[in-house]
Amino acid sequence: MQISPSVLLLIAVYTPILTGLILLTLRKLPQSFASGFALGGFAIPGVIAPWLLAKWLSPNTEIQQFISEGPWGFGMGLNGLGAPLLAMTAFVGLAAGIKALTQEVEARNTYLGLILFMFGGTLGVFATTHLIGFYFFHEFALVPTFILTLFWGGEGRRSAAMQMALYLTAGAMASLAGLLIALDASGLSFNEATLVRVVEALAEGPHLPQATAALILFGLGTLASLFPFHSWAAPGYSAAPTPVSMLHAGALKKFGLYGIILLGASSLHLSQGTLGNWFLGLAVANVFVVGLICLVQRDLKQLLSWSSVAHMGPIFLGIWVAGTNGKAAGLDAAAFLMVAHGLSCAALFLLGNAVRTRAGTYRLDSLGGMASRSPILAALFIAATMASIGLPGFGNFWGEIGVFLSLGGLPLWLQAIVASTVVISAVYSLRAVAATFFGPATEALEERYRVAPFGDLGLAEIGAASFLLGASLVIGFCPAIITRSTNPVMTDIAAYSQRAEIKLSKPAPQRAPQSPATPAR
Amino acid sequence: MTPLLASLDVTFKALAPRSGDWQAILPEICVAGLGLLCLLQALILPATQRWLIPATTRVGLALIMVMSLVPVSYWNSSEPTFAGLLMPHLPLIGVRLVFLFSALLTSLLAESFLRERQASVPDYHHVLLIITSALMLLGQANHFVTFFVCLETAAVGLYILVGYLRRSAASLEAGVKYLVMGGLSSALLLMGIVLVYGSLGSLGVKDPLNFVEIQVAIEAGKFTALTLVGTALILGGAAFKLGAFPFHTWIPDVYQGAPTPTTALLATASKAAGAFSLFLLVNVPFHGLAVRTAPLLAVLTVITILVGNLGALATTNIKRVLALSGVSHAGFLLAIITVSLVQPEASAIKWSAADTLWVYLLAYIVGTFLTTQALLAMPTAEDHHRPILALRKLFRRSPILAGALGFGLSSLAGVPPTVGFAAKLLVLILLVQAKLWWVLGAALIGVTISIHYYFSILREAVIRPSDDNEEVAVLPTSGLVRFIIGFLAAVTVLGSLLIFI
Repeated sequence: MQISPSVLLLIAVYTPILTGLILLTLRKLPQSFASGFALGGFAIPGVIAPWLLAKWLSPNTEIQQFISEGPWGFGMGLNGLGAPLLAMTAFVGLAAGIKALTQEVEARNTYLGLILFMFGGTLGVFATTHLIGFYFFHEFALVPTFILTLFWGGEGRRSAAMQMALYLTAGAMASLAGLLIALDASGLSFNEATLVRVVEALAEGPHLPQATAALILFGLGTLASLFPFHSWAAPGYSAAPTPVSMLHAGALKKFGLYGIILLGASSLHLSQGTLGNWFLGLAVANVFVVGLICLVQRDLKQLLSWSSVAHMGPIFLGIWVAGTNGKAAGLDAAAFLMVAHGLSCAALFLLGNAVRTRAGTYRLDSLGGMASRSPILAALFIAATMASIGLPGFGNFWGEIGVFLSLGGLPLWLQAIVASTVVISAVYSLRAVAATFFGPATEALEERYRVAPFGDLGLAEIGAASFLLGASLVIGFCPAIITRSTNPVMTDIAAYSQRAEIKLSKPAPQRAPQSPATPAR
Repeated sequence: MTPLLASLDVTFKALAPRSGDWQAILPEICVAGLGLLCLLQALILPATQRWLIPATTRVGLALIMVMSLVPVSYWNSSEPTFAGLLMPHLPLIGVRLVFLFSALLTSLLAESFLRERQASVPDYHHVLLIITSALMLLGQANHFVTFFVCLETAAVGLYILVGYLRRSAASLEAGVKYLVMGGLSSALLLMGIVLVYGSLGSLGVKDPLNFVEIQVAIEAGKFTALTLVGTALILGGAAFKLGAFPFHTWIPDVYQGAPTPTTALLATASKAAGAFSLFLLVNVPFHGLAVRTAPLLAVLTVITILVGNLGALATTNIKRVLALSGVSHAGFLLAIITVSLVQPEASAIKWSAADTLWVYLLAYIVGTFLTTQALLAMPTAEDHHRPILALRKLFRRSPILAGALGFGLSSLAGVPPTVGFAAKLLVLILLVQAKLWWVLGAALIGVTISIHYYFSILREAVIRPSDDNEEVAVLPTSGLVRFIIGFLAAVTVLGSLLIFI
């Protein structure tokens, strides 16, 4: 019997949610049973999503096959950008699940159940076809994030969770207003308002005032930690328990970028006019200013959190440049980096926590010399750092180099600032590696080792980390896995952005001199 | 003599109720009858069987809810009844569901609360049911006589329920405050009715208290400056019930002092009465003045949302926080009413403004009662003294109560997947379609601010205390409490599906 892909998609999204629901209601399930049960919830999407991506890439697949408009509230289906992001989320979720299962925590079943909720919601973001469903699943995933941070979080959880809640709600509200205005302008009824149809209707239909684009950009940008709305991100990731940081920074945050690309970049001319200048400026600040902030971090988890914010900069730049020149290259690179960053960032959070459980601290000046005690941890951490700074072979390389190449038309000094990020990120990442794993161990660490000798990584953690890094290596050596899926969509979106530009220049003649100048560059 | 009698006879025949008239208000009659049955039971039942009284009330209310959902024409006709005293202008099913549901939940919450404080359960239920019956009739009013009588019946009942705990100074104080403020608003309302009556009557309108005739007269341009003054006073009276700015000042004090089940009733049924009557007034009798009322309502919406939310930010008593958040919810209800004047027909969704009104109210009822149930299950010496800090470690003491608080507050804040989110989304869609950008902006800012105080409450309940070694006593919950929480939590989640499917 042939199971249709849309049913598999439904299963992938709702398995974690249902598993989580059962764990939350039956809080007294014996630990071993609950572990196996939760593992099923984490693993099933991890099997289905890559299979769907493979199916999606096979040449004779029609998009329609993937769309199911069943009685499930919101329709499920994949698009060229959603498919790789779904697969990435499934991988990160599986790794986060394995990490969560190895942790010793209070009220374990509730903990696992809430993480499963968060995982299912994140999968739903990339699997739904509906405009509001896309928003719905994101918020659905955020609520458990707050609760998990509050009860199982680390130091500073009290203020971090509140700050995160306020920023993310403000961003979500602004973007919801943008989505609703787009829905209204598209003339579609609520039930037929799929993402694809809304984007097409907006590209064909009357152009919206740029305030809508600003709502989408700053609303969704807040969720994706666009400078200067990023200050929630680093404390939030640092205070959250590790599986939550992995899922949030790795996968859930990509919701904002996904929305900016699909809605904003396609037909709301984000990159043009005054808003375009602001967007460019903020994206550069995201690269450069946040990069400098990373340089002064003295805490490993804070550093990882901040660097995850800094890495959003090149993605924003890729989106921006595609809106100005109408070429898909910038968007392709941005999409690639979204997937690759999800994998490397989750691996870093996972391994950073492994350092913490051994050394008892995240403070860089209290660490050192751990490579001799835990060589496998050191090797994997170095590999993840290399992936993160964009060493060839790992996925991030193609994303970063793609963005830099697509920026070719910019003034040289701007390109220099953007390119300096490679140097900055190499400096702070490698310095952290050196401070953690090499050199002499501090006395406190030696003392700790004498009292409670720590060993190397456990099998589960090795598996989870090498799983993520392996996936990054696979797309690093075979980037077509991602680009073959994203390129058709990105070409369309880049083309839409130019069609919209022609319409923009008509009602606003004062912008007319700008428009012809842009393609000439 | 004979001609006088003959003309009286004609008048009597014209005004006398027909049999269909009684059928049309059968659910309301049943609720009132249930109220009388409470007294009768209290009279004849021995003390060991007193538990039957609330049980009968609940079963009766549930049956009447089912009954009003049955789509038969007997009690769902849209014709005027009782010679034009009643005529449903609002969706009847919605109006009845809102009041029946809040009465049922109040009864479920009140019983053990009253027993613990040695207050009479049958009397409370009797008054509750009479209020409910009056409010259900209020939603169908087509005449200022019905309107005023129903509003006052409910108001007098609510004065009793607010001051119900005679040994508690806080409850009595709240009762007196409510009585004074409510009395003032009723007097102004009555003054307004009289002004409208007089000014329109002098212009030759046949029955200047009948909503439809007032509407026809005003739309034909037959009104004076006095009519406008009267209209303003009448709308003020309805806004007092709703708790909209600038008539919201009584809300925190009365809500805090009232017995907590009554607080929930005030927050839901009384607010719903205000919302329904305001909707009715601006859409039927004063529809011709929409050019004047719509901008006024829009401005009041913006101020109400901001005042409610900003006020709640600086508050540390949970009952006051919920009261002020209720003011901001009144702002959302006002927004729906504004939309109904600006753009009555919605296109992208199947819900009109009138439907959205009762859907929003139902969602608000679910959230309010879940939160209130969690509050009630926590022990406290003084009912009015419930600081946010008292929630510390609730998640460890009773995950069920923490869950109730989580679901309830999420629904009130409008977070997916709760029914509160679906209801808020409907309002936002309506606002976008009506192009009321300032109101939309205020609503979104309001939601963002509201996250702070809802989240502060939840944070105290959920956060893991830093001194981990301290022992916490488990908080037991009765089977009934767990049942109510489970039921309402399921409604919270499934309700949002019902709205969009």
